[in-house]
Amino acid sequence: MTLLSEKLQQVFEEPACAKNLAKSGKERKQGCTKQLTPGAAAGGCAFDGAKIALQPITDVAHLVHGPIACEGHSWDNRHSLSSGPGTYRTGFTTDISELDIVYGAEKRLYRAVKEIIDKYDPPAVFVYQTCVTALIGDDIEVVCKAASRKFGKPVIPVNVPGFVGVKNLGNKLAGEALLDHVIGTQEPAFTTPYDINIIGEFNLSGELWQVKPLLDAMGVRVLACISGDARYADVACSHRARATMMVCSKAMINVARKMEERYGIPFFEGSFYGIGDMSDSLRQIARLLVERGAPDDILGRTERLIASEEARAWARIEPYKQRLRGRKVLLITGGVKSWSVVAALQEAGMEIVGTSVKKSTIEDKERIKEIMGDEAHMIDDMSPREMYRMLKEARADIMLSGGRSQFVALKAKMPWLDINQERHYAYAGYEGIVSLVAEIDKTLSNPVWNHVRAPAPWDPPHAPVAGM
Amino acid sequence: MTQSADKVLDHFDLFRQPEYKEMLENKRKNFENPLPAEEIERVREWTKTADYREKNFAREGLTVNPAKACQPLGAVFAALGFEGTLPFVHGSQGCVAYYRSHFSRHFKEPTSCVSSSMTEDAAVFGGLNNMVDGLANSYALYKPKMIAVSTTCMAEVIGDDLNAFIKTSKEKGSVPQEFDVPFAHTPAFVGSHVTGYDNVMKGILDHFWNGKAGTAPKLERAPNDKINFIGGFDGYTVGNLREIKRIFNLMQVEHTILGDTSDVWDTPTDGHFRMYDGGTTLDEAANAVHAKATISMQQYCTEKTLNLVAAQGQEVVSFNHPVGVAATDRFLMEIARLSGKQIPDELTRERGRLVDAIADSSSHIHGKKFAIYGDPDLCLGLAGFLLELGAEPTHVLATNGNKEWALRVHALLDSSPFGKNCHVYAGKDLWHMRSLLFTEPVDFLIGNTYGKYLERDTGTPLIRIGFPVFDRHHHHRYPVWGYQGGMNVLVRILDKIFDEIDRNSNTPAKNDFSFDIIR
Repeated sequence: MTLLSEKLQQVFEEPACAKNLAKSGKERKQGCTKQLTPGAAAGGCAFDGAKIALQPITDVAHLVHGPIACEGHSWDNRHSLSSGPGTYRTGFTTDISELDIVYGAEKRLYRAVKEIIDKYDPPAVFVYQTCVTALIGDDIEVVCKAASRKFGKPVIPVNVPGFVGVKNLGNKLAGEALLDHVIGTQEPAFTTPYDINIIGEFNLSGELWQVKPLLDAMGVRVLACISGDARYADVACSHRARATMMVCSKAMINVARKMEERYGIPFFEGSFYGIGDMSDSLRQIARLLVERGAPDDILGRTERLIASEEARAWARIEPYKQRLRGRKVLLITGGVKSWSVVAALQEAGMEIVGTSVKKSTIEDKERIKEIMGDEAHMIDDMSPREMYRMLKEARADIMLSGGRSQFVALKAKMPWLDINQERHYAYAGYEGIVSLVAEIDKTLSNPVWNHVRAPAPWDPPHAPVAGM
Repeated sequence: MTQSADKVLDHFDLFRQPEYKEMLENKRKNFENPLPAEEIERVREWTKTADYREKNFAREGLTVNPAKACQPLGAVFAALGFEGTLPFVHGSQGCVAYYRSHFSRHFKEPTSCVSSSMTEDAAVFGGLNNMVDGLANSYALYKPKMIAVSTTCMAEVIGDDLNAFIKTSKEKGSVPQEFDVPFAHTPAFVGSHVTGYDNVMKGILDHFWNGKAGTAPKLERAPNDKINFIGGFDGYTVGNLREIKRIFNLMQVEHTILGDTSDVWDTPTDGHFRMYDGGTTLDEAANAVHAKATISMQQYCTEKTLNLVAAQGQEVVSFNHPVGVAATDRFLMEIARLSGKQIPDELTRERGRLVDAIADSSSHIHGKKFAIYGDPDLCLGLAGFLLELGAEPTHVLATNGNKEWALRVHALLDSSPFGKNCHVYAGKDLWHMRSLLFTEPVDFLIGNTYGKYLERDTGTPLIRIGFPVFDRHHHHRYPVWGYQGGMNVLVRILDKIFDEIDRNSNTPAKNDFSFDIIR
């Protein structure tokens, strides 16, 4: 496990990580992973983080080496959509048994890889380590190397057993696997001065597709999206991009930073959520490309696109602004979304009464302050009980959060809208913000909240159900 | 030939074989003198237009695909709800065969019912002899505890007098003098099956309460604390009445279900044939006169019945097939008010669970447009629930709905912003509905099995709620009343919504970009 522990240390010391920058040397050594509190509710493991980060690569086989549950629970559960191949949606696992634990399961893994290549012939196989197979000492790196040599096909070890830490760590380690084994292993057929990478965008509910037409209009080519709707070859060629847009910096900042270090590809952090942020991101892409030597007429082209798209989006939001003005929103989400969504909602006339900053970096927090003012109600690590109290006290009109907090909102009798991965609607781009505003409007006006808020009519305090 | 004695193909496969395909094609070409395909297509398209709709709605004489049945069907339904009761329809036997098959196809259970088998001579000379013989035979053959007489059109047209006929039959010894033979005139050319239900329910109660057609003293009403409950004509009667009984028991309210068909159409398979099972006992029916109040779940099924009940001095309360949270709230609060009993925590919890389920799924139903057709009460109940869900009941149609009903639906639609662009159609049929679905399309259609033609024709997905449901099994076992029932209706609607999302995204490499595990 030396390799793995070295990797861990590297990721912990990630210099581009804003959170890391603020730490003392000693703190940095201890690692990013907050020690979990046994007995307290916790999120997903590192394996899950690695799986969700890479699963959107659509044409490869994702093979989970472990007992059934690891693949069983992570199988195709993220709405990450594909414009072509569906191999990534097939659940592959070695489904190890008791005997494998006694005798080791490396041979089984090797046979599984062989069967995948025989029957599916994907451009690559990603092999995921899990707690149990790591504990019994199965060396997936060796097996992958042997299989790769034997079958003449990339077999990529993703050595991130769940016990190494939390989901976010898994995201980053998945990025390391790409850096070590995939990126830079192939060459694109041709390159242009307008080639970019988008890193940390997973095409959930097809969000990438709402942004891509804008890039097309600018004349920008997405060489690789890591990893939304990606093909293996795209990722392998991504080192030839001229610039990178980092979307979810929490998940894969190490990939962007190391690509800058290794291949000299500059990156910026941006967001597709909200009109202002969307426009800024397009501008930044154009600016970076020009800095890298692209003809500068792209700048004017981009401004014209932004002007017309913004005008169109504003016009479409206008009818909602009247209905939404002054409605109070509580935002429970993580990381980069906390500030970019804030801006988006303010654009629609809503008031943000609080936003969670659990997964946000100091930089994120600064941005929130910038946007919301000093009195911004930032909520750090929050137990469901606190969240409940907060909801009750904040007297917000609606909470936007991931599915896991939904039930807290409902218990607090608050309208709730899913803005994390398990939602059905895409909110990215100019198109997406209009959808988000429309969904908020729908949610606020749904008659069920009358029932949710009022007690049963025979229960004190007697409050008749309004409307229906 | 494809078809041979060695391997006989059934209807699924036979006409898909090349010989038949060719033969049918040749027949069309050479002998049918068909219009050009473009002309057929042009007319087909024209029938989807507003122009055609106008002509369709101007129809005066013709009804096409009616969404209603006849009085005697409701009459048989009501009669079956009483212990050991044989519904006896005075008239032609063919009609009765229809009622029996109609119910059996819906409930997948046998339905006991006889007729007086009137023939041509009976039509000329009157059906008295058929009544006399019919009562004697059915009494001897099927040993019922009560025979409930209703009529088909044939007997009504010639004007047979049931009261006199039954009296004469008893005098002639067909059945004992004291044997209960309540009756009601139920001509199919008046009203619909809901009217027939009303007439027979009233006839049976009137029989027991008001001196059994002059053969017994009228009952003196001695008010007690019981509450009577009448479900009305209801395709979900098996699940619904069990749910209602559970609710009454949870609330510890003494009650009598008048017309309890829950066991009649749900007999166990254990080697015993039960010609009669369950039902309101005759004693209970008689004693129901003493009850404090009577609740009807379906106003339009019980208009005359409730007049009779009110005339005895009871309070009467009626609903329009309540479905959902607010409607069930009102129902329970009425029981609580009438009985003075509390609504128990268990029901409050069930309420909370339904609210929770609606909130969980609200974004998928919100703003979806529905067309509903069915019986007047069912339409009101479902429209109310859709409004509660944030859906729009765009078209509400009842072939057996009247002007007064239309006003009620109007008032309901006006009570919610979601009813804004919705319309009610009283006395219209399913061919009218077809025009509505083409000219003002909706997302989903709610109706009975016959809606599948509309589904195929217009492409509007059908959610089967109503009577009859012939082509899906066992829906009648699940209640649609009470909070649990609301949950069932919610799930049925959601299932169809998700089925549609999947159906529209499941062709590999064509539209499966959104084919997804989690919805």
